[in-house]
Amino acid sequence: MTALAPPVAPAEPGPRPLLRPARPGLGRATATLQSFALPATWILIGLLLLAPVVCFLAIAISPRLFDQGPQWFTLSDLSQALSGPNLQGLLDTVWVGVATAALAVGIGFPLAYLLARTDLPGRGLWTIGIWLVLLLPSWLPALGWERLAAPGGVLVQLGAGDRWLQDVVFGPGGVVLVLALRGVPFAFLAFTAALGGLGREFEDAARVHGAGRLATLRVVVPILAPAIWSALAIVFAESVSDVGVASTLAFNAHFPMATYGLFSAVNNYPSDFPLASAIGWLLVAAVVLPLALQARALRGRSYAVLSGRLRPAGRTALSRRGRLLGLAGVGLFYALALGVPAVGTISASLLRDFGGTVGLKELTLANYRAVFSSSGLASPLLRSLFFALVTATVTVVAGLVAARMLVHSGARRSARLFDFLLLAAVALPGTVFAAGYIFAYNLPFLTKIGLALYGTTTLLIIAYIAGSLPTHARVLVGTVAQVQESMVHAGRIHGAGLLRAWLRGVLPVLSRPLVMAWLLTFCGIFLELPISQILYPPGQPPVSVAINDNLSNYHFGLGMAQSVIAVLLALAVVGVVLGGYRLLAPRGWQRIGGAHG
Amino acid sequence: MPSSKVVSRPPSLRRRARRLPFGVAVTGLAAALGVLGSTVLPGAIGTAGASGKVPLVVYAAEGYDSAMTAAFQKATGIPTRLDDDSTGPLLAKVVAEKNNPQWGLLWVDGATAFALLDQQGLLYRGFEPNVGWTTLGKAAVPRDKSYIPTGITLMPAIVYNSKVLSASQLPTSYQDLLSPTWKGAVGMNDPAVSGPTYPFVAGLMNQLGGVSAGEKYFEQLKSNGLHVFQTNDVTLNALEAGTIKLALIQSSAGIGAMLKTPGIKVAFLPKTTVLPGAIGIDKGASKTVRAEAEQFVKFVLTKEGQRVQQSGDPTGDSLYWPVIKGVAPKAGLPSITSIDAQTINPYTWGARENAVNQWFTNNIVQ
Repeated sequence: MTALAPPVAPAEPGPRPLLRPARPGLGRATATLQSFALPATWILIGLLLLAPVVCFLAIAISPRLFDQGPQWFTLSDLSQALSGPNLQGLLDTVWVGVATAALAVGIGFPLAYLLARTDLPGRGLWTIGIWLVLLLPSWLPALGWERLAAPGGVLVQLGAGDRWLQDVVFGPGGVVLVLALRGVPFAFLAFTAALGGLGREFEDAARVHGAGRLATLRVVVPILAPAIWSALAIVFAESVSDVGVASTLAFNAHFPMATYGLFSAVNNYPSDFPLASAIGWLLVAAVVLPLALQARALRGRSYAVLSGRLRPAGRTALSRRGRLLGLAGVGLFYALALGVPAVGTISASLLRDFGGTVGLKELTLANYRAVFSSSGLASPLLRSLFFALVTATVTVVAGLVAARMLVHSGARRSARLFDFLLLAAVALPGTVFAAGYIFAYNLPFLTKIGLALYGTTTLLIIAYIAGSLPTHARVLVGTVAQVQESMVHAGRIHGAGLLRAWLRGVLPVLSRPLVMAWLLTFCGIFLELPISQILYPPGQPPVSVAINDNLSNYHFGLGMAQSVIAVLLALAVVGVVLGGYRLLAPRGWQRIGGAHG
Repeated sequence: MPSSKVVSRPPSLRRRARRLPFGVAVTGLAAALGVLGSTVLPGAIGTAGASGKVPLVVYAAEGYDSAMTAAFQKATGIPTRLDDDSTGPLLAKVVAEKNNPQWGLLWVDGATAFALLDQQGLLYRGFEPNVGWTTLGKAAVPRDKSYIPTGITLMPAIVYNSKVLSASQLPTSYQDLLSPTWKGAVGMNDPAVSGPTYPFVAGLMNQLGGVSAGEKYFEQLKSNGLHVFQTNDVTLNALEAGTIKLALIQSSAGIGAMLKTPGIKVAFLPKTTVLPGAIGIDKGASKTVRAEAEQFVKFVLTKEGQRVQQSGDPTGDSLYWPVIKGVAPKAGLPSITSIDAQTINPYTWGARENAVNQWFTNNIVQ
């Protein structure tokens, strides 16, 4: 174990050699490692992420390639995507994405700060709430808002609805609000991870030098720049790729968005994949915007602050007024992000009909009884649970590797390309991502050589992993960027092998962000619809497909009851994992990234 | 505690104490995954059935499809795998799989979709089960026998809330909907998303004399405040919430709502368009699969199959008019002869589907 040449794990880029300056001067061992690890990683990424995306995007210029049109080469679909309502949709999508990202970061940062660094009451509860926000598929909050604010909706019937409310909710404002509320957890996680690694010394140093609270923030915030940009980029890309809100709130408000154009091109009959692909090109192009800004802002700087000397941060004791204000702000966020969808979903699940009437005597538990009495729901629930557990576990490992590649390849061109690919994959809606898997993995020659992956659980899980990896890696980038290389070196100096040095030196530091990232993926996959819908093996529907079936077969209340049960189950898993971490992980692990108090 | 200490001070006892729970957790997780995996994924990978029969893959968007595939499998022993989804995503899959189809049979509403699949050469032709068709059933069988009707619904039904409107206040023609009385009060689905809505749009265009006359009508309807929603349930929701007063949706959804919700009623305007539910068989399917698919169709059209079809989704898709003689429609369905219905040529209108839907999305929805 003490040999310099470490055991080659194909997906594990090696550290820099011992006692060398932290410049990209490579030792022989590392060079050997990299010569294996890098190509292997790239081949995996190529097969899992790139092939489907490239196949899908190729259809825009060469429909004939996959039997989707007569031409081998054409630009007509691209020009169609850049004209008329499609162009309008693209512009709307971009500005909504920018506004959403700004709003989500604006909410996510104070929220993360309040929960990580102050003694705000009920922190545990609020943290669990974040997972709940993340769990809800975006159409659910949109539906909740519609049920509340529609003419004849809950608020109007309670006498609180007003014209202005409808104008705000059923318009661009409502779209940005719902998307931003959904984006907050991404920002929150990026910030929590980064704040955890920041320790207290920077704040202390600023305070010692006489800085007030505001001036201290001005010291701390720039150190968090990777997390801020990460959060902005990820929320932007998530918002750009969202179909749930685009096809509900935005659709009803006659506010065309690019994803809706894409969605209807695919769902139209016969499906217009070339046009969908052309719109896909534009969505991918839109991602260049946050990436370029991010690259500009972070160029040539290091954000490695997480070292062995890190001191856990203390919690700021809030004044009574601060506490009240903090609670009010946090409460408002949860009322909007969780209260509204909860009212929408739960009330609909308790109603006999299609959910239009409000009145206590209309309430019934019949839908829940129906769910529990039929065996149709239990197996999709268990199946999705299994899919989400596997996906989250694999993604945590792969995402860490990917995040390291992003951070440690520095300014190398391959890293920038990789970064772009990851974000581009986030920007592509799940539907087209999944369609790309059909094009790439349902080729006749694959069937001939016995590699028929399409239509199997294996491919579904691969697609889940590929679909969550980009988000996951980008959320982790903030933390991984903070880890100083010296931590592994320290372990090696004390005689540990590379693996043990990493396991005992770096893993403890990363354990909390990793657990969070695991939950992030779990929550994202458990109720994932677009990929599941297209790639699930016939006869084995995941829970989201089962719910969608009921919703689209006019069993609105039943579908809602299923949603409520599914969300509760997933929340139980979140509780078990968070509780398990608290009980089982060594105490030292929990200190890092946490705070006293 | 500084974390460097964790690294540099490894007393073996303490290390054991620290590592044990972590190891236990990892092992536990792996075991749990294994157990869960083995229970939820029986025979997930690989395709051969136990009896040597090839599984029949059914792509279907009918509310009774899971009941039917289960009944068929039980009756014949043929392993049947169901991909149950909305019409849109299913047809998208069929198109995406074009160069290597994975489905054995497709079962959705709308002859236009099948006609187009047939024109693209994706359907097996020349199979017609030996059954006693009703007049509407016979009319729905295409000349080249590329798909087989299994039931009839109508599009649109006019669904209204009798607490808000009385029967005498209802419109009597589509032209009435353009009057100020119905300003902002009419809702329908987006044909690009809701599969059964295109036949309604096509039927109305057919009735009004062609595509451009139809486009003009929908533009006028839009300026009179037409609401376009995505699917039947959203449109019904809007009706019950009072956002709209008339919902133009598929008869099965409307009648289902009527059965479930007091006050909801259904009417029909002249003319309403016949919307056959149908089954098509993959042209590239192996002989075995094709034989199984034909057996499936025959099973659906037996008395036993019809019983399953009528009970599988009692307040939804089961509310259809049967296409074979000797099977009565479910209670609650009006007599089909009392309704002024038209049949459109699925081949003519199927070929126009994409263009009309795109026009609708660009000009009426947005």
